[in-house]
Amino acid sequence: MAITANETLDAKGLACPMPIVKTKKAIVNLEPGQVMEVQATDKGSTADIKAWAESTGHQYIGTLEEDDGVLKHYLRKASDDEAKEEKKFNDVTDLETLRQKVNSQEAITILDVREEAEYAFHHIPGAINIPLGELDDRMDEINDDKEINVICRTGSRSDLASQKLSDKGFKNVKNVVPGMSDWDGPTEKSND
Amino acid sequence: MENNNTRVAIIAANGGMFDAYKVFNIATAAAASDKEVGIFFTFEGLNLIHKEAHKNLPLPEGKEHFQEGFEKANVPGISDLLEMAQEMGVKMIGCQMTMDVMNLEKDDFVDGIEVGGAASFIEFAKDADISLTF
Repeated sequence: MAITANETLDAKGLACPMPIVKTKKAIVNLEPGQVMEVQATDKGSTADIKAWAESTGHQYIGTLEEDDGVLKHYLRKASDDEAKEEKKFNDVTDLETLRQKVNSQEAITILDVREEAEYAFHHIPGAINIPLGELDDRMDEINDDKEINVICRTGSRSDLASQKLSDKGFKNVKNVVPGMSDWDGPTEKSND
Repeated sequence: MENNNTRVAIIAANGGMFDAYKVFNIATAAAASDKEVGIFFTFEGLNLIHKEAHKNLPLPEGKEHFQEGFEKANVPGISDLLEMAQEMGVKMIGCQMTMDVMNLEKDDFVDGIEVGGAASFIEFAKDADISLTF
């Protein structure tokens, strides 16, 4: 599974609490929404990075362990008002409805607008990934014949994406709320 | 990001290398996690912020062989941890009374510390969510 990050932090060979301290310093260089890869060899860093993210409000996406023992932690920088953003797109659908459609293999499009790293660790089977920031340039990849279910983590980014699609003339757009944060249906990881 | 006002109050009352790691590791980890951290250095704990003493803190008797372990695990030096803690805004208060007893001045300590009595620390610690003593 190859994952693209906006920034990479090398904390290899460093003991606790250095991976956390370095992460804290490095994340200020990111824009909200961007993804940072933290490379570490401290075995405790997985639990520490998770706890750190929990307490600072950033999003812990996941960890990959390389064959040489290097741990690659992925974090997404949060913004102050991320969870509070006003939802403006009216045509919403809930997770249960989406789940029934997935289970009955209904012909729908699931458009996942989270960052590639988030998608790579955990997405609905068959979902296509176009991060919100790339949507304007990649709309031609989306088929307008089927119902488009737009999903992100909490419903904010997918709200914006739904508005963009609808503005461009896509007819059958639904914003899935809240999003992958509460999805308990089937998921898969990206393949190598 | 949620507004995080968690406050951590630490008393450092011992002056060995193990004590220094306990204090500074917890303090830097807490500061990196956006907690507000204050440390009150008293009695032998003053060694941890003494300009010279903190660079050469003793290991407990019979545990000198741990030195190698620290190096092997690439654990940062006490000076580095102290510097990082200050950089991240950890508040450090040296105990005035102990300094008087030991005949030490503020200039004997690293820059950026405050000097105060127990009441100064209590003022900080009264609103603490986490209190620790080492």
